[in-house]
Amino acid sequence: MKKLLLILAMILLLVFSALTVGAQEINILMEAVPDTTYVQELIPDFEEKTGIEVNVEVINYAEMHEKLIPQLISQEGAYDVIVVDNYWVGEFTTADWIIDLEPYIDKSDKINTDVYIDSMFNMVGQVNGTTYMLPFYNYAMALVYRTDILDEMNLQIPTKLTDYVELCNSVTEQTEYYGVVMQGLRPDPIAMEWLNYLYSMGGDFYDEDGNIIINNDKAVKALELYVENINNNAPDGATGFGFDQAFSVIANGKAFSYITYNWMLPKLNNEEESEVAGKVDIAQMPGGHSLNGGWGWAIPKSSPDKEAAWEFIEWVESFDVAKERALMGGSPTRNDVFNDEEVLENYPHYTEVKTILQGARPIPIMEDSTELIEVLGRELSLAANKDKTPQEALNTVAEHMKDLK
Amino acid sequence: MNNNIIKLKYKLIIPALILLFAVILFPLAYSLFISFFDYTLVHPTFEDFLFLENYLKAFQDTYFWNSVFVTLIFTIGVVLLEFIIGFILAYYLNKDVKYKNVFFSILIIPMLMTPVAVGLIWRMILHPQQGILNYLLGLVGIPAFAWLGNKYLALPTVMLVDIWHQVPFMMLLMLAGLVSLPKRPYEAAKIDGASRLQMFRYITLPLMKPTIIVAVLIRTIIAFRTYDLVYIMTKGGPGVRTDILSYYIYKRAFAFMDIGFASALSYILLLFVGFVSIFFIRATLSQD
Repeated sequence: MKKLLLILAMILLLVFSALTVGAQEINILMEAVPDTTYVQELIPDFEEKTGIEVNVEVINYAEMHEKLIPQLISQEGAYDVIVVDNYWVGEFTTADWIIDLEPYIDKSDKINTDVYIDSMFNMVGQVNGTTYMLPFYNYAMALVYRTDILDEMNLQIPTKLTDYVELCNSVTEQTEYYGVVMQGLRPDPIAMEWLNYLYSMGGDFYDEDGNIIINNDKAVKALELYVENINNNAPDGATGFGFDQAFSVIANGKAFSYITYNWMLPKLNNEEESEVAGKVDIAQMPGGHSLNGGWGWAIPKSSPDKEAAWEFIEWVESFDVAKERALMGGSPTRNDVFNDEEVLENYPHYTEVKTILQGARPIPIMEDSTELIEVLGRELSLAANKDKTPQEALNTVAEHMKDLK
Repeated sequence: MNNNIIKLKYKLIIPALILLFAVILFPLAYSLFISFFDYTLVHPTFEDFLFLENYLKAFQDTYFWNSVFVTLIFTIGVVLLEFIIGFILAYYLNKDVKYKNVFFSILIIPMLMTPVAVGLIWRMILHPQQGILNYLLGLVGIPAFAWLGNKYLALPTVMLVDIWHQVPFMMLLMLAGLVSLPKRPYEAAKIDGASRLQMFRYITLPLMKPTIIVAVLIRTIIAFRTYDLVYIMTKGGPGVRTDILSYYIYKRAFAFMDIGFASALSYILLLFVGFVSIFFIRATLSQD
């Protein structure tokens, strides 16, 4: 009998130790972008500190949404932590797929949401006053341009959109370069690019009272300017360019300007990837409002281990790790990282990026935002190819928006 | 026959029937069911019964009709050209040409690639400024074209890439047919003094008819559902010039999240393909 008890006790002990010491692990789904790489490089520190093993699954953006949905719908999904694109915020929160982080933040001594730049926190942080995410990195768009061409022509980057298109006209006419390279591919490339025109022209999707104003005079003017630029000043075929094709044109030194993500500047200044290294700089969108974009860390409702998930987020968004990521080339979201001397020494253009971020605006956070971008992209493409007039195209978008939530 | 054996026969096919039901019939029936509801990925419930409303919505949608139009042009164009080119290639490969195996191996390569890789490779080849095609054309003085960006060129360009990719398939089927043709009728024709063209017209073509019908049918069904090339190369643009039906349905399902409507569209496509198949199968049967 004694022997039996002893064996039982040993088995129990074994089981308990397996439960407590047994490798705790979390799974994260992330996009294949530089900022993900920086996180991956730092993860060994976290694993050493906490003993929690982190598996990062890296895939392309195009597959992410489809891969996430089944995991988010199920009772217990495969991912403990996810990153949420600002596109999806409305959908994920309305569908109740990600949890309220406030109880965790209240308990934490490391996380304070006041440090984030307002435009970031309002986009991939809080929704209607509840904090669902912590801003991970930004991909606000901005104007990237060739300093050498501008100097040669003895001109400056204008502050109004109409003047910018004029400038592109002059460059195309007077030099051997294209005034601009553009990305007219449906749906995201063209929609994202045009939104810079829309916001800088003073237009928007809705006015303050929630009325649809996507087809008002300002929006139509913004689209007319876009159509003019893509047909007169961009390379032939830009109406079919995605991001990679447009990038190769400016990296090969054939275009004067490109409206793109601010984190493209280091890439264009890298001699291995670009022939124009040292000749490009970044500026706020003429008109002052570019399209904001960003990702936030979130814990899905279906997360198998929410405590460990929070422990990871707490670590990755702490000042030290956020600064470390910025030093590696990551795109910050925190004021204190933007103001850090060491960071600024390495990346002087971050002063400009901070200004860009402060003026940047996101696409509206709504449940049907992917549908909105799809319809917008289609209509913009029809206008860019002159199959519809700008007014007709935007009227169709406005009509469709009535059905969106 | 013994009653027990008959019973046993049915018992034995039960596993196969269950499998067929699970992987074919059930999904088909389920998607038909979904197509009667306002079922979206964000609200996956069967609360709003719409009956045929999704179908009516499709027929009232101008972009749906545009997609039908694009799909028809695409299918008819690629199947016809693939058939003609595939037949010609097979015809010559069936003769005694030098280095036949080398030609054959080279011609078969495109078929071994996945459509996504084909799309990505061609996107690079067709880049208006950095692509090799415009560069080569430039060497002989032909101006550069914006293959995928020009609204008149985009659809023909996608069709050409599809033809490049799918001709080997057609060629293989045709070659299989040609190899198995009997020799006797040709010998007889030769004795009667028939010309080559006459032999082709009155012997080869009639004997090849069943093979041709099957090959064209298979290619038509696959061409109707083309999706990958458009997804990789044009995303339906410029404007809606390459907005092929399968891609249109995909967007309805996964961008608009409207699974109910997308299911209805899929059923319309299924019926369409079904009718075409019946037409071809009838043609084959009448020949017998």
